[in-house]
Amino acid sequence: MPRGAPAATRNPLPVGLVIPAACLLALALGYPLIRQVVLSAQEFGLAQQFGQPPAWVGLQNYRDLVTDPYLWKVVARTVGFCFVNAGLTLAIGMGVAQLMTRMSPWVRMASQIGLMLAWATPVVAAMTVWQFMFDTEYGLVNWVLVQFGGDYAGHSWLIEPLSFFAVATLIVVWMSVPFVVFTLYAALTQVPEDVVEAAEIDGAGAWARFVHVVLPTIRPVLLVVLLLQIIWDLRVFTQIYSLQKAGGITRDTNLLGTYIYSLGIKGGEFGTAAAAAMFMLVLTVVLTAPYIRMMIKQEED
Amino acid sequence: MKKTLALAAVTALLGVTSACGSDDNGGSSADGGPEKADLVVWLNGADTPQEARDWLKETFEEENPGSTLTIEEQEWDGLVERMTTALSSEDQTPDVVEVGNTQAPTFTTAGAFSDLTGDLEDLGGDDLLPGFVEAATVEGKTYAVPYYAGSTYVFYRKDLFKKAGVEVPTTMDEFVDVAVQLKKESGKADFSGYWLPGQDWRDGAAFLWDAGGDFAVADGDAWTASLSTPESQEGLATVQQLFTEASGAPADANESDPVTPFCADKVGMMSRPGWVYGMLTDEESGCPDLAKQIGVFALPGSDGEPAPVLLGGSDIAIPAKSPNQDLAREAVSLMLSDDYQGILAEAGLTPAKESLATLLGDDEFAQATIAAASNAKLTPAAANWATVEGTRVLEDLFSQIAQGGDIADLAADADARIDDELN
Repeated sequence: MPRGAPAATRNPLPVGLVIPAACLLALALGYPLIRQVVLSAQEFGLAQQFGQPPAWVGLQNYRDLVTDPYLWKVVARTVGFCFVNAGLTLAIGMGVAQLMTRMSPWVRMASQIGLMLAWATPVVAAMTVWQFMFDTEYGLVNWVLVQFGGDYAGHSWLIEPLSFFAVATLIVVWMSVPFVVFTLYAALTQVPEDVVEAAEIDGAGAWARFVHVVLPTIRPVLLVVLLLQIIWDLRVFTQIYSLQKAGGITRDTNLLGTYIYSLGIKGGEFGTAAAAAMFMLVLTVVLTAPYIRMMIKQEED
Repeated sequence: MKKTLALAAVTALLGVTSACGSDDNGGSSADGGPEKADLVVWLNGADTPQEARDWLKETFEEENPGSTLTIEEQEWDGLVERMTTALSSEDQTPDVVEVGNTQAPTFTTAGAFSDLTGDLEDLGGDDLLPGFVEAATVEGKTYAVPYYAGSTYVFYRKDLFKKAGVEVPTTMDEFVDVAVQLKKESGKADFSGYWLPGQDWRDGAAFLWDAGGDFAVADGDAWTASLSTPESQEGLATVQQLFTEASGAPADANESDPVTPFCADKVGMMSRPGWVYGMLTDEESGCPDLAKQIGVFALPGSDGEPAPVLLGGSDIAIPAKSPNQDLAREAVSLMLSDDYQGILAEAGLTPAKESLATLLGDDEFAQATIAAASNAKLTPAAANWATVEGTRVLEDLFSQIAQGGDIADLAADADARIDDELN
């Protein structure tokens, strides 16, 4: 940090600028959060939604949840899905970003536009297209596989949980790779070329240069991207929800997001749903804590 | 960046607080003058014909000068969720809603609808379809009235029947045989002698009931799921046989689009509500040439009488939070008027009043409708039944049966989940 910073801290402008935004954020995030905590300690069903006074039940909602083995199945599924997707997204994103540094400007521009389009497609619109591609009867994927002689006429992609999650992973990764590529590409252009060249002269191979020079340089960016990715992939909802309607067995494919939705909005048990949402909040904090700690440590270094 | 975040936060916050708005029951306008408002009516799906919509809007605006009526079309899919959120807020609630007859109990027991008991006599009284009124009545008060009914009957292809040398079946066993026979005759894996997509429990229900089974039975105040009883399992076995030997529809598909497979020449028979005929013969969306070969009959039961089929249909209700209670009652009475119900009848929907059934006509379609309705059944009238539908227990069950799963295991599983939801 450049010295001279103390002068800046005495200037009230930055603080003044941040305070209104911070207050609004605290209000906008704080209100729903407090409401959620309150709800999670109440018996709150449809009748309460339409005006009956709710009854306090203490920790009963939480007890019901954690004693239901189904919750743990969903949690395991959610964490697994999150890590696989975040990992794949990051690996593919890194690969494409690396490739981009080696492309001619025109090719790079074309791929950037392509990525941008994938990223900018509204989720529901994208889901309609993907659902058509994997449709059992009229799907493009089955049709192509049949053209190549595969036995895929009428093959259901969504009905088996594993194959369901493979399709979901494909879609989720497809939608999140562009962001990772753009961010990492920007970071890669900041890696000082002379250092890389020096390493090359010292006899470091491509892999060694990547691991020992490039990676440490872009580490802060990498951490942020990974953190965001984990948070996003934990709460993935729309993709799973629409695929379930298109043919997945709901109970075998619920992730925490869709489970909370089916408890609350569909099942009318808002109290239990709020407790499950608290659970998800804690899970997010636990899973992201190590990365946040690393980021803070890096900042201090 | 922070600024846009803050802006977004404010917008979100406004949304949140207005969604939790005040909860007083609005009445007519405070100054005692004639009520004027923009009435919002929710109708679901394409079931209500355009002619009826136009008539309702024009007549209402004529009779209530200064007020307007807007029809917002909702999708059936996800309706319970949308109503749960919108009906609890005075700002967002529509003034009149159409709700599926099996979904109504969830809202009537939760206090979401206004009490219509006092208006029943004016709206039709004993002439209203009794099963519908009964299902919407809680502790002597009625919160919703019937809108239309529609039981499904079987559409079949006359040309394919002739080619396969089969007759219209008169018993359940014959029906299953014909369905299997038609598929064999076609020699195609994706052809359906009887079209039954995997998630389609509503049409599958007929086979369950015909065998003497049920989804759940009342036991005093409590409900017991009964998919595991021997009768239910027998019915589910028939469903599985139809799935595996007669249907070419995907095990993971739903019944929302019968037109595509029918027009692709992939369907010999299918159970559908009467208004699907209009979709099939439509110049643009359907296939009038193929549709010329359509015949219809009521699904036959084991005893040769019509099989018990799911009585579909809708109720109308006035959300308790609507500030325009009086105008909403005007609209409801228009929707139950003979004129309006007559338009519905012409479109193949069974009118909400028994005396109007003759408006259906006397062709084979009307006869099939009346025969099917004569033995129609409703889903269990449990307060929480809509959550069973919402959490997709039955879609899961039927889809797994369609895949050839073990019926005893799957039924026991589904029973546990239904017990959990209902009690």
